[in-house]
Amino acid sequence: MSNYSIAVDIGGTFTDVVLRHRDGRFWVDKTLTTAEDLKQGFFTAIKAVLTRADCRADQVDDVIVHATTIVTNAIIERKAPPVALLVTEGFRDVLAIRDECRSDIFDNQLEVPKPLVPGELTFAVPERMLSDGGVVKEVDRAAVQAIARRLVELKIESVAVCLLNSYKNPANERLVRHILTAEASDIFVSLSSDIAPQMREYPRASTTALNAYTVPIVKPYLDALQEGLSAAGFRQELLIMLSSGGVIGAGVAGLNPVRMIESGPAAGALAASFYAKLLSAPDLLSFDMGGTTAKACFIQNGQPLITTSFEVDRIYRFQQGSGFPVTVPCIDMIEIGAGGGSLADTDSLGLLTVGPQSAGSWPGPVCYRHGGTCPTVTDADLILGMLDANNFLGGEMRLDVEGARKVLEAFGKGQDLGAEDMALGIYEVVGESMASAVRAHATDRGVDWRGIPLLAFGGAGPVHACHVAELLDSRMVIYPLMASVLSAFGALVTPLRLDLFRSDVGLLRRLDWSLVDRHISQMIDEARAALLKAGCAKNLIRITIGGDFRYQGQHNELTIMLALKDIEARQVDSIRATFEAEYQKTYGIKLENLDVEVVAWRVTAYGPEIDQKTVHMAAGAQSGRHSRSVRFHDGAHDTPVIPRASLRVGEKFPGPAIIEERETTIVILPGWEASVDPHGCIFATRQGA
Amino acid sequence: MDSILLRVLWNNLISIANEQARALKRTAFSPVVREAGDLAVAVLDVRGRLLANAVTGAPGHINTMRTAGEYFIQAFPPDTLKPGDQLITNDPWLASAHFFDITVFSPIFFRGKVIGFIGSCIHHTDIGGYGMGAGARDVHEEGLWIPLLKLYEAGEPNKTLFHIIRSNVRKPEHVLGDLATQVSAGRIGAERIVALCERYGLDDLQELADSLIERSEEATRAAIRKLKPGTYRGETVFDVPGGEEVVIKAAVMIDTDKGEMVTDFEGSSPPSALGINVCINYTKAYNAFAIHCCLNPDVPNNNGSLAPFKVIAPESSIINAKYPSPVSARHVVGMHVPMPVMKALYHVLPDKVLAECAGGLWSAQIFGRDRSGRAFASSMFNYSGGMGARANKRGLSATCYPAGISAVPIEVLEAEMPIVFDQKELLRGTGGTGKYPGGDGQIVKFHLKTKQPWMLNAIVSRTKHESDGLAGAGAGAPGRFLVNGKPIFDARKLIMQPTDEVVFETPGGGGYGPPTN
Repeated sequence: MSNYSIAVDIGGTFTDVVLRHRDGRFWVDKTLTTAEDLKQGFFTAIKAVLTRADCRADQVDDVIVHATTIVTNAIIERKAPPVALLVTEGFRDVLAIRDECRSDIFDNQLEVPKPLVPGELTFAVPERMLSDGGVVKEVDRAAVQAIARRLVELKIESVAVCLLNSYKNPANERLVRHILTAEASDIFVSLSSDIAPQMREYPRASTTALNAYTVPIVKPYLDALQEGLSAAGFRQELLIMLSSGGVIGAGVAGLNPVRMIESGPAAGALAASFYAKLLSAPDLLSFDMGGTTAKACFIQNGQPLITTSFEVDRIYRFQQGSGFPVTVPCIDMIEIGAGGGSLADTDSLGLLTVGPQSAGSWPGPVCYRHGGTCPTVTDADLILGMLDANNFLGGEMRLDVEGARKVLEAFGKGQDLGAEDMALGIYEVVGESMASAVRAHATDRGVDWRGIPLLAFGGAGPVHACHVAELLDSRMVIYPLMASVLSAFGALVTPLRLDLFRSDVGLLRRLDWSLVDRHISQMIDEARAALLKAGCAKNLIRITIGGDFRYQGQHNELTIMLALKDIEARQVDSIRATFEAEYQKTYGIKLENLDVEVVAWRVTAYGPEIDQKTVHMAAGAQSGRHSRSVRFHDGAHDTPVIPRASLRVGEKFPGPAIIEERETTIVILPGWEASVDPHGCIFATRQGA
Repeated sequence: MDSILLRVLWNNLISIANEQARALKRTAFSPVVREAGDLAVAVLDVRGRLLANAVTGAPGHINTMRTAGEYFIQAFPPDTLKPGDQLITNDPWLASAHFFDITVFSPIFFRGKVIGFIGSCIHHTDIGGYGMGAGARDVHEEGLWIPLLKLYEAGEPNKTLFHIIRSNVRKPEHVLGDLATQVSAGRIGAERIVALCERYGLDDLQELADSLIERSEEATRAAIRKLKPGTYRGETVFDVPGGEEVVIKAAVMIDTDKGEMVTDFEGSSPPSALGINVCINYTKAYNAFAIHCCLNPDVPNNNGSLAPFKVIAPESSIINAKYPSPVSARHVVGMHVPMPVMKALYHVLPDKVLAECAGGLWSAQIFGRDRSGRAFASSMFNYSGGMGARANKRGLSATCYPAGISAVPIEVLEAEMPIVFDQKELLRGTGGTGKYPGGDGQIVKFHLKTKQPWMLNAIVSRTKHESDGLAGAGAGAPGRFLVNGKPIFDARKLIMQPTDEVVFETPGGGGYGPPTN
């Protein structure tokens, strides 16, 4: 009998916890992240929420899910002990040479990321596999044994192995692991054919190296969490949220940390899909704007888009090509260098720029009084009257209006603009840069961005969402409940999901269908078994099947969902038609006289649907409403200011309006109308036009 | 137009170009487009002026879009165009300087009139003729020449032209597939511009175009006026396929009164008999690129920011090719154009220039039959030498300057043709010594799985002449092109034996500043 489930999300600043009862009740808590020892915050948060709900550990008999930023931190901080990389002899510099690209051709001073594994810890293995999976040179056992002994001498704990063409046939990599562990049984070995079995040696090596680098940090951490949970009386295996929004057990996750890089944002995207379904808005843009960056992710048909390649630790203006490539499934999110702390500046054309440089959390915006001297987005929002100097973070922090005004005044002189006009310019430019990035991202994905509703959260998201929506021709912005613990919430309100795939390139009209059947049935069995272990009832597991298709000769694929009956009946024409319809939708054309190729097959298994028809809202007092002058595009308005807690279901009022919460401020622009739905979500809709 | 609106609209133009460049890259059949990013997409106004371009890796394509704009407008005055028209050319002297690069211009119609163009240029898989090498004896041997034509007329395909292309290229379905995608990108880009005009209540792009061009031009002229006036000289000497020596001399005259910079290439080598000659539009593109990156890289690329950079080139020289000189491998020489220019700029912008770089990408194309006897023809694949050092950091290794395009992954090449790579590693120490060393070159070694003789088009450079160091630094080591261990100095397509092994050792870049012990 499942009663309680729990989710913990450790982010950079806060550790959030949500406890859910199957009857739909929630308890939440938020504590400061304990950066020195994340485990401490994890257990503090769990204890706090159990106390709040008056619940015992042994009553938590449904899932315990964890999302964490530990992997990203380890990569960015580079404080982990060194790891080694084994590659095919002749290709030792795969990480240093990268793809030879310069991400910004106009920048003579460009720098590229420093390889995660230095040259002296990269070892050459005499062996060679060809692109058809045939071995032309066997693995030199003695050479691998010698490398193993050297690794022991160097006290290396973790090794990445990435041999050429291993995506096609993992035999040589497995043999290398076998030899290594025979010599050095304690060493963690990450094989590229396990971690990221896809063509293209540099991204695969990069992904595998990232995995090897983070295993020695993540595995002990997860083991300790699991032990701590057992000691505290919890009985089930801890589940880890992956970047893809799927989950795996902590035991497996500890050996695959590279799949957890975007764990928190993925859980946040799941919350967005929950709201997409709850609110009958199957297509949404989740829009999370924080202090340094904004993140956006498309939800289509109630599901977040997934990508199979992204970058981590972009060192240069968040530019593509300036980070480490990672080729494992991930929520397809775009990160834009635009947040509350983004700095306003002028370029040599005398035109305003905003971001990607940021004042960060220290010194932060001028109005934080920590010595910041350059105007930021938050300073602009304050001068416009959108933020309340005396009610920021519930009044914990008093903002310096005069300081911000002086800096904006001085900055505006160069443009012949007063402080308020300058602030409005910053507001408009940062909105446009986010909207531009979203449009480019949408085109990349074949998503029609025009008119898509926004789901806004994050500290600065609700301040800017209406404006970004206008630039995306959108007429609706939704401000969800639970926004301040959205990732932890997301982990508990969407069904458990497990994704598997098998690479196998072949022409659609000449497929070995018995092999396809075997791939698919193996994956279905594997996925079912994993969900059963996590506690799902067998009859409630749902399976979907897909394939990655392209025209022969291309190298980027479209993932198409397929009906099992089309595969069983070998309906080649119908499969081709499904692909071509999707291709036409994405790129606006259909190509003739070209063969269609399948590159991989995919199986996804879902746990039982979660019965969550409502989200409860704490009833608040009708007090604290007042008004202040706020500057908008069409001039200053005397604008009502409403504490969110004072809103009643069904309440409706025209913009402009300001709705204040502890963690954020919702700005309803003139021309918009706000209403509170039965779930307590605020809907802003654009009127007329 | 107020400055905030200008900023917003301008960023929009760049984002529209970027959107379509990504769509092209994702769907391309041509491996150098999809893996290496050898493409350009631009927004131009009704007068054919470059307003904004996508941030891609190919400055030669980007900046020649500007010259192509002028020629398209002359040949097809906008008031004669009909909705659904699509324009095309690969004329080396009008567009991107060799036949492989096909440029497509899509008119943007708004309220019944043309308000601008979306232009795209990609390096296609094949264009018939000699293939991607330096060995053709005149431009006609290099493949199919497509003059300024309509690919579509009022929405109807030009069937004759399609038929001619289909019959003249080696992989017609891939070339036509990529052309279709160029047309589609142009149409979608045009829709985006129309939506932009509607959203911001613009009747056309002219006020925006004038403002952004004027601002960019003023900013560039202002930057020039801050320099010390005078004429500064630079010279680069390098060798090309076959061992021929090429000299490019640049005298950069900085005129702070007019706020312009005139580069005079007088004294540069005469035309070559090989297909490495550079049409003047490509020389202009790389001259402007080199100066722009040093002078004011934060000003976006457009007609305004490029206008103050002028070029004088001797009539009929290697950097001002005349018909019927062969031009296919023009990048070997063209990518060296920035080197003498930066050596000249060292005297006024020492902190901004790069020491001499390895220069042109080393590229190869192979033709043959696999072990089962099936014929194959590869597209071009390429490898970089070392980049020159900067005033306060070393040069990047195995990274090209001025182009920024990627190498096609080994696993992709091995999956597509019967090639096997034996090595791809840095050649440590080949970058010039110095306070900041130059970037290292790399070694790339490969052979084929075949039972029959095969053909190799290799385009290499700097196998004798090193890349100079700057400010007292050491030079980068020259490269080597070996077959079975023996140096090759032959520019033409080589007939190879089944067991032959090819080695590219790309050159290192020059260092910067005297070495400290």
